[in-house]
Amino acid sequence: MIKKISVGIADMKITRQEGILITYALGSCIGISFYDPMIKLGALLHIMLPQKQGTDANVFKFADSGIPETLRKLQAFGATKSRMVCKIAGGAKMFEMKGPGGLGNIGERNAQMVKMALMKEGIRVMGEDTGANYARTMLLDVGTGKVSVRSAGKPEKFL
Amino acid sequence: MAIQKYEEMGDLAIDMLKEIGSIGGGNAATALSSMLNAKVNMALPEVKILGFNAALNLLGDPEELVAAIFVEMSGELNGVMLFILTKEFSDEIVQKMLGKPSIDFMEMDEIDTSVLTEIGNIVISSYITAMSSLSNVEVELSVPQFTVNMQGGIMSVPIAIMGQHSDRIMMITGKFKIDGKALNSNMLLLPDVESLNVLMKKLGVIDG
Repeated sequence: MIKKISVGIADMKITRQEGILITYALGSCIGISFYDPMIKLGALLHIMLPQKQGTDANVFKFADSGIPETLRKLQAFGATKSRMVCKIAGGAKMFEMKGPGGLGNIGERNAQMVKMALMKEGIRVMGEDTGANYARTMLLDVGTGKVSVRSAGKPEKFL
Repeated sequence: MAIQKYEEMGDLAIDMLKEIGSIGGGNAATALSSMLNAKVNMALPEVKILGFNAALNLLGDPEELVAAIFVEMSGELNGVMLFILTKEFSDEIVQKMLGKPSIDFMEMDEIDTSVLTEIGNIVISSYITAMSSLSNVEVELSVPQFTVNMQGGIMSVPIAIMGQHSDRIMMITGKFKIDGKALNSNMLLLPDVESLNVLMKKLGVIDG
């Protein structure tokens, strides 16, 4: 049986050779898969907000701190940025938020910040399924590097 | 004494929130009861302070499809309120209101959507009305938003909003029983920390 490793919200997991990294029901959050095919090393990061604020200790909560930290860890395990295949999913607009206390369109802001943070690291997004108004579950098969997304009432989609 | 984090709330403050939940939920149950022309009860509310993942998984399988009504609160109280209607709860609503045996979340028509939205709207506004008159705080509500989605994805929205400044989420939960049947539904009130201080002050709760 292939082992499944579940990645929570504001969380990141790394595995190599085999296994499936999975993060469930991404709403406005974004799942970012990282994969180095040469050494079959993969990571799945689930961020919740675009930008780190103050001294918040949870780096994986934010796009701008979670991405560099994930890359740093992957490099420590022998990954190379130039080989990295990176795909993103999520960033939906679950609700129309106009209230003064709201964050506006968190999903869209998350997607923008994720792309910016990746660009800063010199990494291009090779596959993407973001936006719209529905939640997504994202899977990275570390044995093959395949990334898939499933959502309610739609066939599973490979990125 | 003002609190900075949800974890700092004492027993008295927790009891105060449960009381708010009972009164708000009781009022919502009455409103629901007259809409459905059925007996509606409310289980005793719970106050939960949870990490993100525990909050996300509170209702069970994060991939399960549910309907939800979402409202933002502003004014003296800030935060969000969410009413989650599971499939079984929604079935009961359409049976009572439309005489249909069940609802198909993937193929809802306009009437299904408006009935569930209206039910959610009434539940939330009667809850908030009771809460604000009890505690004498003014709360403005945003236009209610309706969605059918994976419940984990829905929960991630209040978690992201409330989680900006905290690694924990506090919510007051409430569940309804219709005609004695416990149908899975959840009314979640998620105030921010600042609002808790406002409530404690208004209600004369002094902790610690």
